[in-house]
Amino acid sequence: MLDIELTINKETYQLQVPPGERLYSVLRRLGFRSVKFGDEQGLSGADTVLLDGKPVNSYLLLAAQAQGHELETIEQMGEYPDQGWKEGRGLHVLQQEFVKTGAIQCGYCTPAQLLAASELLQREPDPSEGQIREVLSGVLCRCTGYKKPVEAVIRSAARLRGEQVPPIEDPIQVPPEWLGTDPGGSLPQTRTVQVDGTTLTAERVITDIKVSNKPDTWRQVGKPKEKVDALKLVQGKPAFTADFERRDMLYAKVLHSPHAHARISSIDTSRALEIPGVRCVLTYKDLPRVPYSTAGQSDPIPGPLDCYSLDNKVRFVGDRVAFVAAESEEIAEQALEAIEVEYEILEAVLDSRKAMEPGAPIIHDQDDYVNFADSDPSKNRAAKIRIDIGDVEKGFKEADQIFEVEYEVPKVQPAHIEPHAVVTYWDEDDRLVIRTSTQVPFHVRRMIAPVLDLPIKRIRVIKPRIGGGFGGKQEMLIEDVAAHLTIATGQPVQYVCTREEEFIAARSRHPMRIRLRTGVKNDGTMTANEMYALSDTGANGAHALTVTGNTTKAMALYVGDGPYREAPNIRFYADIVYTNTPPSGAFRGYGVPQGYWPVERHMEFIANQLGLDPLEFRLKNALRAGEIHPFSVAWSEGRDPVPEMIQTNALAECVEKGKKAIGWDQKLSDKEWSRVAGKPYMKRGLGVALAMQGTAIPYLDMGGASIKLNDDGSFNLLVGATDLGTGSDTVLGQMAAEILGVPLEDMIIYSSDTDFTPFDKGAYASSTTYISGAAVVDAANKVADRIRARAARILESRVENATIIPEEIELADRCAIAPDGHAVTLEEIALHSLHHADQEQIMAVGSYMSPVAPPPFAAQFAEVTVDIETGAVEVDKLVMVVDAGVIVNPVTASGQVEGGMTQALGYAVSEEMVYDEKGRAREKDFRNYHIFSAQEMPDLEAIFVETFEPSHPFGVKAVAEIPMDGVAPAVGNAVFNACGADIHDNPITPEKVWRALKVE
Amino acid sequence: MIIEYYRPDSLEDALNLLSRKDPRTLALGGGLYINEVIKEPIAVVDLQDLGLAGIKKTGKNLQLGAAATLQSLLDSGLIELALEKAIMHQENYNRRQVATLAGSLVASTGRSALTAVLLALDAELELVGGGQRRDKILLGDFLPLREENLAGRLITGVRIPAGLAVSYHYVARSPADLPIVGAAAARWPSGRTRAVLLGYGEQPVMVFDGPEADGADIAARSAYSDAGDQWAGAEYRSETAGVLVNRCLEEIAEKREG
Repeated sequence: MLDIELTINKETYQLQVPPGERLYSVLRRLGFRSVKFGDEQGLSGADTVLLDGKPVNSYLLLAAQAQGHELETIEQMGEYPDQGWKEGRGLHVLQQEFVKTGAIQCGYCTPAQLLAASELLQREPDPSEGQIREVLSGVLCRCTGYKKPVEAVIRSAARLRGEQVPPIEDPIQVPPEWLGTDPGGSLPQTRTVQVDGTTLTAERVITDIKVSNKPDTWRQVGKPKEKVDALKLVQGKPAFTADFERRDMLYAKVLHSPHAHARISSIDTSRALEIPGVRCVLTYKDLPRVPYSTAGQSDPIPGPLDCYSLDNKVRFVGDRVAFVAAESEEIAEQALEAIEVEYEILEAVLDSRKAMEPGAPIIHDQDDYVNFADSDPSKNRAAKIRIDIGDVEKGFKEADQIFEVEYEVPKVQPAHIEPHAVVTYWDEDDRLVIRTSTQVPFHVRRMIAPVLDLPIKRIRVIKPRIGGGFGGKQEMLIEDVAAHLTIATGQPVQYVCTREEEFIAARSRHPMRIRLRTGVKNDGTMTANEMYALSDTGANGAHALTVTGNTTKAMALYVGDGPYREAPNIRFYADIVYTNTPPSGAFRGYGVPQGYWPVERHMEFIANQLGLDPLEFRLKNALRAGEIHPFSVAWSEGRDPVPEMIQTNALAECVEKGKKAIGWDQKLSDKEWSRVAGKPYMKRGLGVALAMQGTAIPYLDMGGASIKLNDDGSFNLLVGATDLGTGSDTVLGQMAAEILGVPLEDMIIYSSDTDFTPFDKGAYASSTTYISGAAVVDAANKVADRIRARAARILESRVENATIIPEEIELADRCAIAPDGHAVTLEEIALHSLHHADQEQIMAVGSYMSPVAPPPFAAQFAEVTVDIETGAVEVDKLVMVVDAGVIVNPVTASGQVEGGMTQALGYAVSEEMVYDEKGRAREKDFRNYHIFSAQEMPDLEAIFVETFEPSHPFGVKAVAEIPMDGVAPAVGNAVFNACGADIHDNPITPEKVWRALKVE
Repeated sequence: MIIEYYRPDSLEDALNLLSRKDPRTLALGGGLYINEVIKEPIAVVDLQDLGLAGIKKTGKNLQLGAAATLQSLLDSGLIELALEKAIMHQENYNRRQVATLAGSLVASTGRSALTAVLLALDAELELVGGGQRRDKILLGDFLPLREENLAGRLITGVRIPAGLAVSYHYVARSPADLPIVGAAAARWPSGRTRAVLLGYGEQPVMVFDGPEADGADIAARSAYSDAGDQWAGAEYRSETAGVLVNRCLEEIAEKREG
């Protein structure tokens, strides 16, 4: 052990540390929890601290190296301004601006960004945007797209120079009439469609949950409110799973398979168990064999049960072999090295095209595999989809031309900066508590119970703040590891995945090979559209059926024109096959981005071949308001479909605004624009893609909320919905505050804990604002009714001969106001109801399930510069115009779009997961798996075209996932526009462009 | 696993420690690479107190301390723009606060931009061994046999010519991504021209060193004619290497004219 002295935030610490102990672990041990783990190479930068005023990676430094230097963490920067009787220091200007500008989404990287920015502002009071982006280059952010953090630093610098900065304005003004809601009153009340000889009827859906406040009086909804969790995140408070520790806690590690397909012929843990500090080693011999699915979905899970906590067979490089719990992570790692395993290596299937060939090795040959629908393990098939809408063959016969092209999309990683993390322990009532970084706490509770042989009622799942999820945490992925070890040892166990584990053992986007065949008349009318998708689910079938089923949303956007609009001809067939690669799963967009790459590249190709304007061609054939969503009659996540009518669609307006924002007409009509002065080998191009997503899963997704009035007129809002950094807690709070007539700060919002918050299916399917939001409105309305009733009673007692009708009372400014102007405060009402007369707790629960999934629409534009000698592509600008209904919070919503576009930019040009001939991953860290950093970002612009979706009380639709859909094909189309390189498989790498140009 | 940590304040003490065989003892610059994967038991000798971080211009050369951080090189105002570009491309802002010059060279891969530019500049390393014996070795000779060259010795500095026209160009999937293929070139007032390729293999390779630039692009294509791996095909790398070398040379010519 070394005796060292560290100076941290101007305080001196005398410490004894092992020579190899990282500065990171010493800081965490001392309680500086703002310092986070993101990866082992310091490329995420979540572990940033200041060393002698400079940002460095604490995970890469030995504690001993820091001796003699000044260390600073975010804990010294500022604090909550109101400390009760003690006057607090308040937040630093940088922290204030990060909160105001919406620079914080999940907040996991926020302390690191703040430290890096503070170093810059110390030495450069008036930094350029380039300088800001350069210092932020050391901190990866997967949520924001960096635009708002950069804005926060610019504003902070100005304030520190003594300049005034403008308020964060509401960029969206409430229009007198919402766009596209019912243009000209022309939408029919019902619409019928023939399906297999049966007439089905779609009806307009107008929500019966009403909002009494008129849009032009809204004070909370539609406003750029600060995120309700921003203050704790900007201070680096211990809000995340791994920040929570318990006495006697053990640390878990997992031994992973080095083989793609093998049977464990022997496994000996005796050497590992002899290592001092090792408390437990578990193999398949120790655990009950329970088949389950890891997919965090509602009951019954629409997929096969083909996973086991531990098995005697491994099915991909990275599959689980054994679990270890030890007194430290280092000891647990030593134990992994000491486990002796002999494998019988089996032939592996790595190519999805070979998975269903006769004689292919069978990946799931176990007897206890549980089928779902068309899964067939004997053929390595996890799921099958066959959807025919209309008469596709007739449509092809009626076409003047048929275009058929094959496309391919890669496997990619959600790459949330906070890895999967879980802590489990027995509480004093012998109930198992699982504190976990999950998007689906209620599903985890339900799904893990049989795996552990515990009843659901003895399990409590707590979801703290989440450092990004993007679908990767819509999974019961690692909770069982810690839980088994807690059951085995009786002790608390923490398990935090390494970055390598995120790449080799967590879930990723399904790669697909897609063949598109489209019939078109010479005037651009589409007559039939057919897609076949071969989807690779990897070694397990979680989300296999539903992700690929969702790919249909890309096909649904284009129905054809004229008679085809009334009766489109669409075919979607898919086989989802097992391979010996890491399992695929949910990732933002959930199958839809896989569909839009081929569909939008194909639309561009057809328009080009027919000499049509690409935007006119698209809009001519695109789905419109008043029409039936074509797949609503054929597909509903494996359940019975119900036809749905599109009620709001501002796609045409999105296109117009987007064209203007990117300068579409001017640039494309100017031949000089495409050239770069002095560089004849550089060519500029513009591209576009349209997109349609979904909003929740109809007749399935349900969210609940409860609201309780407190003594001071504030409210507790408990939601089961899972804010994973998106700002959903804030948005839900805004809706409740609007109805209850209070500022957002009077809503105390908590999510989520299966013991205390109502059920919610979780954060996925772009459903929280829509589904959970309607539940919140429902609960708020009930509470508001009771407040009004009591207010009427109080006011009548105060005003002689007054008769006050509760329904006429307005809730505003923390008061209940009668039509005659008499008012009573909510605090008075609370005290009256809790203490003074006919005491009662004013409280209500609301819940909501939707019969429809109203789709948001978007137009995505991209501008690129292509080097035609090397094939290098630089994306210069991305503009996305979105119709997501009413925007509850313009700051959080635009943050969603900017961050989504940035993730999608990686899908366009840099992100992919490649495996060698033995199934070993090429990408195991952020060095090889490149996600965009601050200094290399293109210009981003998010624009909203608001419509009022009548199926929701506040008129909202979804915004979270649609930004993933259009960027890759828009960039592909821009590359084609720039230089003629027609790339069929993303990402668009320089070599692909070069080869395409060479062929040309 | 690091089992011993030392922070000597003299070269002599450092060299004594580094000469030990058991446990294997390694120099610790910034520590970015040693600390990254710690499997075998090793001892480390932290160089931060040895006064090896200086940066100065001496005559026609720049004398760069082995322990100078990459950020301090940028901040010095003494290095060429192409070297700045390479440093900023190789390491993000956080990592270059700690990454040392010598550590970065020792940990070079085929995709190391800094190493490529220094190789184009025909950088010379200064080493000190047992008995304070001082040696010099060209970077191009050092790289292929790094472990052997460092046995019992320590890099104390790097010397590069100052004021040369230098250029660095690369192709990557995005501006901050690792280079798939890249080129660096330098030209001396005499006309001597060196060209280096990167993006493939164990280290950047010098492909041309001649009295003038003619033929450098052909040499580049030839040098990467078999440079195929998981990241790019040989045909692509070879063709693009020629293009990039030409661009470097054109830029150098423009600088000289400018």
